[in-house]
Amino acid sequence: MESVVNWFYPLIQAILNGLLTGALYALIGMGMALIFGVMRIVNFTHGAFLMLGMYVSYVFFLKTGINPYLGFMVSGAILFVIGYAVYMGLLRRIPGQVDFMVILVTLGLALIITDGVQLVFGADYHQINLPLVARNFRLGTQIFVNAPWLLSFVIALVLAVALYLVVTHTMFGRAARAIAQNPYPSPLMGINVNRVQAISFGIGAAAAGVAGALLLPVFYLYPGVGSQFELKSFVMVVLGGMGSIQGAAIAGLVLGVVESLTSLYWGNEWALAVDFVIFILVLSLKPSGIFGSQRA
Amino acid sequence: MSHRQFIAAAGFFLLSFAVPLVVHSDYTLQILFRVFLFAALGLAWNLVGGYAGQLSLGHAAYFGVGAYGLALLSKVGIPPWLSLFLGVGLAVISAAIIGLVSFRLRGPYFALCTIAFAEVVRLVAKNLPDVTGGDVGTQVPLLFTESSIKSFYISGVLLTGLAFVLTAWIERSKFGYYLMAIREDEDTAMSVGVNTSRVKLWSLLISAALTAIGGALYASLFLFIVPDQVMSLDMSVEIAIVPMLGGAGTLFGPVIGSIVLETAAEIFKNIFQEAHLLIYGVLVVMVVIFLPEGIAGTIANKLRLFKKAPAGSLAAPVPVRPEEEAERTAFRK
Repeated sequence: MESVVNWFYPLIQAILNGLLTGALYALIGMGMALIFGVMRIVNFTHGAFLMLGMYVSYVFFLKTGINPYLGFMVSGAILFVIGYAVYMGLLRRIPGQVDFMVILVTLGLALIITDGVQLVFGADYHQINLPLVARNFRLGTQIFVNAPWLLSFVIALVLAVALYLVVTHTMFGRAARAIAQNPYPSPLMGINVNRVQAISFGIGAAAAGVAGALLLPVFYLYPGVGSQFELKSFVMVVLGGMGSIQGAAIAGLVLGVVESLTSLYWGNEWALAVDFVIFILVLSLKPSGIFGSQRA
Repeated sequence: MSHRQFIAAAGFFLLSFAVPLVVHSDYTLQILFRVFLFAALGLAWNLVGGYAGQLSLGHAAYFGVGAYGLALLSKVGIPPWLSLFLGVGLAVISAAIIGLVSFRLRGPYFALCTIAFAEVVRLVAKNLPDVTGGDVGTQVPLLFTESSIKSFYISGVLLTGLAFVLTAWIERSKFGYYLMAIREDEDTAMSVGVNTSRVKLWSLLISAALTAIGGALYASLFLFIVPDQVMSLDMSVEIAIVPMLGGAGTLFGPVIGSIVLETAAEIFKNIFQEAHLLIYGVLVVMVVIFLPEGIAGTIANKLRLFKKAPAGSLAAPVPVRPEEEAERTAFRK
């Protein structure tokens, strides 16, 4: 009995924590996957959008006192507008829409946003204090569930399901999937490709922004915070099959658990390295992804 | 390279060697070293990213291996210059491994795979403090004992010269044409008998060797390195942005890009302190939107438009619409 307690409960706890983190990863990854599917580009601004979402709900919290568990809606709305505007103002104007160029613009834009935020807010670390953060629920004798993570898990899950339903059940979603399958005949079917791509980019940015807002209470805030999540979102998109949003969602949960287990057995500092090793293995052995159906 | 270009390049390099005779301020020389260092790194990246059209965003791995090779090997008693070359060898080996895996992928998949490798290298360097010093960093020996900043500057110019001559030679060789064929259409290149995997791998090996020398020079100037500095994604991005800004796939592009970008960054560093990467972003976005072929490419096009028709020819020069030209020469998937 003693030995079971020693290895069993930490394992369950790690898997549980992994799933809680994974739901946020899933949201970030779904945003990236939607953008990739509809536009066939890797969005290197994703981390900057997430960071921006964190700052929006941080400022909103400081000004109004409304905590990020409601403030995420503001982050989402603002980031949607920013994403839409970025597509309409910049990405649409790239000559020839060559993916080389699109990658370059999103990289440049990420530098502008990150360093712009640093100019305004400085490079200092910030954190908000919510009384909720210290609360834990107990499951049985040994397992704890941290309240803010549970809350963000529920919100992220609801939004992820909503996003899935939007993509599978609305006209917009149908148009987006059509473009993802083959962009060339879509305009002939009466799809306004620019508009659908702009909305997709907006939704993708909003997903990153919401995830950022939900991370705010449990994380530090600084201008470079987004890059680690951006790197993870690449992993998720590849794992899920590029462009498959349900694949990215499952990959997010799996990634959360894998990281949590890596932290438990090898130490936290190896979690990201394990992510990338998995990523390289999947890319070289099964580039179509593990959880997705889309062809690479 | 035309006759006139050859004279321009030779003149430029001769003048560059003469700079330390006139400029004595360490600060200015350090900036000029940086300009040449990134010109060399840009030329190195250009072989893979420009001529072969393979968007590598993981060159920080080779840069970092070069830097850490010098630092760690000289720590165990190997003379610095020998360590530098052994480090370059290590970078070439890692490039072979990375290339073998990532060149099987195309487009964004390739870019992501190079990022992943560079990140693994960085994280391993970070997480093995017993070997690399981890986040605390490690000391790097000085490569030059006398009048060091001048020596660094001259070695920067030499490295750029080496990369430049190599590129000029490759550009005219069969190998160079293979690379460009791969950029234009890899499948077609393969179908006419180009061994695309081997050609791409060779370009990466040359590129990695040059990048690693650059990394070692950089490390030795600063005397102290940490993984997050020499192996970061930001470093990879900077190495890639320089030639793309100047004109990817052109001989002069990386040099022009480095002069423009590093000068601009230095000016903004004085105004904005840490947020100087902002100017990189602004320049990159503006170049892609307004000068999609980079600075050098756009200048070359403009010159072509204004060139007079050959004597005796009745045909007037046909101006090419810029967007048509952009579509024709821009990189494909």
